[in-house]
Amino acid sequence: MKIKRILIANRGEIAIRIMMTAKRMKIQTVVVRTAYEPNAMYLSYADRVYDNTEDVSEIPVFLDIEKIIAIARGTECDSVHPGYGFLAENAYFAQKCAEQGIIFIGPSPDAIYKMGNKTIARRIALAGGLPMAMGSEGNIGNEVEAVAIADRIGYPVIIKAASGGGGRGMRIVRKAEEMEKMFIIASKEAEKAFNDPSVFIEKYIENPKHIEFQILGDTKGNIIHLGERECSIQRKHQKLLEEAPSVALDDDLREEMGQVAVQIARAVNYYSAGTVEFLLDSDRNFYFMEMNTRIQVEHPVTEIITGIDLIEQQIRVANGESLKIRQEDIRLSGWAIECRINAEDVQAGFAPDPGKIESLSLPAGQNIRIDTGVKAGSVIVANFDSMIAKLIVRGNDRKEAIRNCKMALDKVWIKGTKTTLPFFRMLVRHPKFLEGSFTTAFIEKDLDRYYFNSEYEEMLAAWLATKLFIEENLQDDSINVDFQEGKEMSPWLLNKRINQF
Amino acid sequence: MSGDTLNIKKLYALSSEKRRYCFPLPLKQTIRLGKRDYEVSLKADEKFGTYILWKNRKYPVEVIRSRQNKYEILFNDISYTFTVETPFSLKRMKVLSTTKGKAEKELIKAPMPGKIIDVLVREGADVLRGEPVVILEAMKMQNEIQSPVNGKVLNVAVKASMNVMKDDILVEIKPD
Repeated sequence: MKIKRILIANRGEIAIRIMMTAKRMKIQTVVVRTAYEPNAMYLSYADRVYDNTEDVSEIPVFLDIEKIIAIARGTECDSVHPGYGFLAENAYFAQKCAEQGIIFIGPSPDAIYKMGNKTIARRIALAGGLPMAMGSEGNIGNEVEAVAIADRIGYPVIIKAASGGGGRGMRIVRKAEEMEKMFIIASKEAEKAFNDPSVFIEKYIENPKHIEFQILGDTKGNIIHLGERECSIQRKHQKLLEEAPSVALDDDLREEMGQVAVQIARAVNYYSAGTVEFLLDSDRNFYFMEMNTRIQVEHPVTEIITGIDLIEQQIRVANGESLKIRQEDIRLSGWAIECRINAEDVQAGFAPDPGKIESLSLPAGQNIRIDTGVKAGSVIVANFDSMIAKLIVRGNDRKEAIRNCKMALDKVWIKGTKTTLPFFRMLVRHPKFLEGSFTTAFIEKDLDRYYFNSEYEEMLAAWLATKLFIEENLQDDSINVDFQEGKEMSPWLLNKRINQF
Repeated sequence: MSGDTLNIKKLYALSSEKRRYCFPLPLKQTIRLGKRDYEVSLKADEKFGTYILWKNRKYPVEVIRSRQNKYEILFNDISYTFTVETPFSLKRMKVLSTTKGKAEKELIKAPMPGKIIDVLVREGADVLRGEPVVILEAMKMQNEIQSPVNGKVLNVAVKASMNVMKDDILVEIKPD
């Protein structure tokens, strides 16, 4: 093995996820300790920790190319794993690593660049005759041009950032009058987020399913797919729950889409793990949307049903090995569901709710996998994403997976921040989710409520409010308290009071 | 109020959706579900923090805010707001609410903390329900804040590039 020591240019659960595989492969790991999270859980998994806590700049070190490379050299790492986010899809970083003789555990800079630029990716797919939504040839210069294209392909259309991803810089336009405003918003947002204001236009596919294929390739030109993931449960393009496989695909469609995904990867000589995203409409037409040139948050569901460790494959490919797995070896077995348990307030439109995790208990068992980077006492900081844990549940079929998921959700215990748990508790009971007919419009269109509670839960909360009222007003010596003054107290302070009862 | 306390026979917890829960005093440690009474208790320990034990299951609880007789409680990850009323204060509240009538103005508040990117309406402008009034950036996403009603803009409380907190008033609208 050429790879002996990996610098993990990331944090949280994905850093731990990578280190677990590295440890199994007897490869050493180095992580970076930041001022934001000096006591983070991922630090305890590494063979060596580089202390960067004196750096208090606004931009996280995980985005600082020069610094990451300097740390890799300084700690004698022969390779870097970028995880997801941060520098994972930065072609310049991958290039820079290569120039410095550091192995970038991921695809080639060229593949990252081409797929990262959506207009180039579109041209590649079009040149290959692959299914794409109709749209502009390349970037569009202004709203007048945008209106002309939209008139040709028909409304609604979607404006997308050429360098975009993750839903940023995207705007749906339903009529010509909205174009100017939406064009400006999308372009501004794109410039801010990606340093590139260029946008292009595509026909907007109404109510599609989001289906993506996991790709694996090596540097010898072998490329295979590991089946699909269904990621239609999303809000503002942020995925919340993913499953594998998808109810929407049968073997024929899977084969067909899988082949297209492989062709797209082949067009850029792809190696390492990657994901080809498609939209699937209600007539089972599918359209190439984009390719993500990194390991994804939702990769565990594919690992569960294929039994393949994707991180291990990434490391082996980066090490120069050929894929040992052939397409015909891939068997999809069982069903897997992943819930992203985030520190978000579901009742306030999924607003982030950072804070300290006061207590935490996560279920374990044969059908449960937890990927997390936090423990009781950890702090979810506003500087990074709001993920607390990924709850991944397996079943022999979808019905069983959902049943196991429902039980597991009731065993998750998190105190200190609000979480997306009530959303998932609702979801696993929703008829449309159970039957599998949901689309990416599900959250916006089919839900009148984002959370689940049984009616007696409110009654119990009412009982508690009444109890507190009695303790504060009717029993103790505070009867003379001036009620006009009011009392504001921290919940944790109040907790102490409750504890004394 | 202190004078009344001795005579209070029951308390009401009113939810923000106007559901009413009545608890006779002294407060029982049981809650009736169907025909059976189930024991309920408030507990705390090192591992789980505070929780309510009910039908052999632990539910995490937290008091987020308490002010006068108003309580915001996080129960099993969902927040509930109650006002606790005595029979007397409940009666008075009913009288008040019937004399008040319909809302004079609609306050559009920031759904999350963020930065104002653009203000799309001016004072005196007519707006339609669903029309965007402000663009708010939060967590690197630009969000259109829309008017919930048809009406006239009474006041614009924010300017572009201003930072706002959750629940800060952005725009006031007089509904038609």
